[in-house]
Amino acid sequence: MTTADTAAAPRARGPLALARRVVLYVVLAAAALLILVPFLWMVSASLKRNNDVFTIPIQWIPQDFQWGNFTEIWTRVPLATYLGNTVYLSLVITFLQVLTGSFAAYGFAKVRFRGRDTLFMLYIATIAVPWQAYMIPQYIMMQKAELTDTFWSLILLQAFGAFGVFLMRQYYLTIPDELCEAARVDGLSEYGIWARIMLPLSKPALASLALLTFVNTWNDYMGPFIYLTSNDLWTIQLGLRSFVGQYDADYAMMMTGSVLSVLPIMIIFLLGQRHFIQGVASSGMKG
Amino acid sequence: MKRRKMLAAVGLAMAVALPLTACGSGEDNAESGPVELTVAVWSLASTPEFQTLFDAFHKANPDITIKPVDILAADYPTKVTTMLAGGDTTDVITMKTLADYVRFAGRGQLKDITSAATSTEGAKLAGLDQYKQDGDKYYALPYRQDFWVLYYNKKMFDAAKQPYPTSLTWDQYVELAKKLTTGTGDKKVYGAYQHTWRSIVQAISAAQTGGDQLAGDYKFFADQYKTALALQEAGATLDFGTAVTQKTGYASMFESGKTAMLPMGTWYIAKVLSEKKKGTTDADWAIAPMPQRPGATGVTTFGAPTAFAVNKKAKHAAAAQKFVEFASSLEGAKAITGIGVVPAYQSDEIRQQYFALPGMPTDDLSKKAFTPDKVNPEMPVSDKTAKIDTILNEEHQLIMTKQKSLDDAIKEMESRVKNEVN
Amino acid sequence: MADLLTATPATTSAAPSPRARDRRRARRNTLIGWSFILPNFLGFVVLTLVPVLAAFALSFMEWDSYNPPEWVGLDNFTRLLNDESTKIALRNTAFYALGHVPLTMLAALGLALLLNRKIAGVGFFRAAAFFPYITSMVAVAIVWNMLFNPEFGPVNQFLQFVGVDSPPGWTTSTTWAMPAVILTSVWRDMGYYMVLFLAGLQAIPVEQYEAAKVDGASTWQRFRAVTLPGLRPVTFLVLVLLTVQSFKVFDLIVVMTDGGPGRATLVLSQQIYRRGIIEGEFGYASAISLVLFLLVLVFTLVQFWFNNRQERR
Repeated sequence: MTTADTAAAPRARGPLALARRVVLYVVLAAAALLILVPFLWMVSASLKRNNDVFTIPIQWIPQDFQWGNFTEIWTRVPLATYLGNTVYLSLVITFLQVLTGSFAAYGFAKVRFRGRDTLFMLYIATIAVPWQAYMIPQYIMMQKAELTDTFWSLILLQAFGAFGVFLMRQYYLTIPDELCEAARVDGLSEYGIWARIMLPLSKPALASLALLTFVNTWNDYMGPFIYLTSNDLWTIQLGLRSFVGQYDADYAMMMTGSVLSVLPIMIIFLLGQRHFIQGVASSGMKG
Repeated sequence: MKRRKMLAAVGLAMAVALPLTACGSGEDNAESGPVELTVAVWSLASTPEFQTLFDAFHKANPDITIKPVDILAADYPTKVTTMLAGGDTTDVITMKTLADYVRFAGRGQLKDITSAATSTEGAKLAGLDQYKQDGDKYYALPYRQDFWVLYYNKKMFDAAKQPYPTSLTWDQYVELAKKLTTGTGDKKVYGAYQHTWRSIVQAISAAQTGGDQLAGDYKFFADQYKTALALQEAGATLDFGTAVTQKTGYASMFESGKTAMLPMGTWYIAKVLSEKKKGTTDADWAIAPMPQRPGATGVTTFGAPTAFAVNKKAKHAAAAQKFVEFASSLEGAKAITGIGVVPAYQSDEIRQQYFALPGMPTDDLSKKAFTPDKVNPEMPVSDKTAKIDTILNEEHQLIMTKQKSLDDAIKEMESRVKNEVN
Repeated sequence: MADLLTATPATTSAAPSPRARDRRRARRNTLIGWSFILPNFLGFVVLTLVPVLAAFALSFMEWDSYNPPEWVGLDNFTRLLNDESTKIALRNTAFYALGHVPLTMLAALGLALLLNRKIAGVGFFRAAAFFPYITSMVAVAIVWNMLFNPEFGPVNQFLQFVGVDSPPGWTTSTTWAMPAVILTSVWRDMGYYMVLFLAGLQAIPVEQYEAAKVDGASTWQRFRAVTLPGLRPVTFLVLVLLTVQSFKVFDLIVVMTDGGPGRATLVLSQQIYRRGIIEGEFGYASAISLVLFLLVLVFTLVQFWFNNRQERR
């Protein structure tokens, strides 16, 4: 079903294989279209006047296209500043999370010591606590450290999460211990094993961790909302919500901004998903 | 001291989380020289009244500049609660709702400004008594007071050859709405649009029957619900379920000519004025008094004030109080009236200024709508308000989506308020 | 507990050696292990663990977020037992998790298997599957509510077309609101977990498939014998994350139904938010979150135990 099919494909050329391929593409294209319906609505809404966004029943193609929305939004809110802040935060947090996460994961997956698994359990258990419960204690702490209303608060809060540790540990577990043993026999230190063997072998996992962390930071709303007060520190998600007023909302502008904010993520995704190509990890396994 | 010992036992965690009172403010009455005052507000860009007030205040007090702390409207209470918990020193905090005010005041997070409230000027503030706490204390001063009126689209009335809604009863309102409903599918135009908030049924019936929304007896809601359901049954308003799930905006319903009548608060006047000016709507609008119960004398509606308060930990408490008083004064009222906001300060001068605004309908009916005989509170204030509000809202949804019969839902409201609110 | 949680198969290569050497080695390993964990751990303890413990401590107190908390013992928990809304929220959360976890798991695994091949345009299809996760939540809520609209929504039009006389009212019905939310959430999250599965599939050596093929295994047998065992650690990761995220679901519910109609889709994290931030009873809100936490912990431990038993086989 997976690799085997791919490997078999070149051999089984013929009308049947061609037909199967066509069917596959038709199915995939139809599914993709269905999945993308809300996104298409988002694009359609971004090209309407605000009062036309919620017509009932839904109007998929705008009556007259408001291309001006895409230029107007840059002056309505300081979108460039928000984008810059978001890029900065997402990059720094992703980098730190991948670095500390993959490093700690090695300790949890490949070094055996007393209390390791209890500690690990403690780690992932905290993921289960809803943020609504500890938001205020956390904020009070940050306030005492005088870090609120700075990027530091968000970087510190999100860079050391348990998510990256958990994710990387699970992937390290799939890498056979024999590889580490062999490296130890060859005289490599544990840090060397991490850097020279584990990291290269876990490229797909690193890619997925980076991707998911980046996306989550990019789309985070509550964190920046609570910790960033000055307008020049705001992120794109705060900028988008600023179109919702007390009594009314400019949904057209909000959707225009949403479309714009999705584009960078799409680029990151298309770059990142290249690492999910069959055989990257397995080639290293032969050594 | 017993408490301290207990806390020590709880350990490190609580020690960090515990708010220390050390970083308090100082009384800075003697302060002189330039001051930068911070004011927490919501959605600064789309709520022009704030900047208008700041500019007017700065003009009157050149040595005080104002730095707004802009907070997104939707989650304003969340952020302010968090900030104040952390001992934030923002000077002035805007009280978005009375329920928020009760909580902040109850925790002792706001400065006592009773003296300002009980002055002669204070007597002219509509809605002030709703800020009374512990018998005779005030921790905030209202600067605007919105109440509900009936907006209508003259063009649509003319087209249907119907008289303007001078003094309607609720039954007449339903009949009128049916007559004004035309078309089908995406061409359908509704006679009325009742927004999805519970106020439009519950607060108005409380205001007009004298019922108390906190008392736990809700039979007085019944008539108003019958009206709302009849309207929906006849297809003369957008179905509640659709309006909720599609996040229908009342403004776009009215401005795009999808509804002939719209019961709504006076805050909407400023918006519709500015949309008209921008040319994004051609609705030929005016306002009328809210429909009344049969046999009612005078016009009774409901409303809610908005206020400013001084943070107890304010860096510049004296200047902050000066601002709060300014916003509620005649000067402050004049400033916001200029952009179509209804101030809490009541005087004929203000009313005249209001109707002199460009684009404001000046017919007698609109003027009558603007001076209702009685404006009752939207929701009485107590420490139980938030809880009862949640219950009433949940049951409201069940009635309007027809998931529960009216009688059952009212019984459920009563038993839930009895059991869940102590 | 440590024994229960041991995830790495014991290596038996060590030759019999004197105890002292063993102890020295154990100490060395402990140091090395901690040196790896420490950079992340320090940040984690200070920034997450301490506030979390504070929140747990608060569940035995009454706190308004400002004044010193007051010890009330188990009051918050006895109150919880009599709070109808919290019980409803608990039931709804469990219902949501029961639907969301298995369905998302299957959808994500299916997508990953389907898109783990070298075909032209696979990048586009993967992106399409991931898009729901990055589409604006407001757009998601509006479009899905439109699809589910009882009168003119395509879903019900289709149901009527195939002969269902009275199709459900979906998000306007107390019975069907939760299934509608579950369907939407599966659609939204499947791409996210697909990414994890895709990365997991890369770790399975091609050689194993080839060997299975030589042995004459069918596609299904290869899936059972090679793919599933190879994916076990990732499956465990996905299962735990999914469970945790289902129990904590908040954003989607808030924009899609806000807990309604009535209390039909009210979930625990919403209840924590309302009781805490909105109503100002932080002690009680903490008590609810402690219960939520313990629930998830039990589920996770069961999964952990089950996972380890499988691994040892």
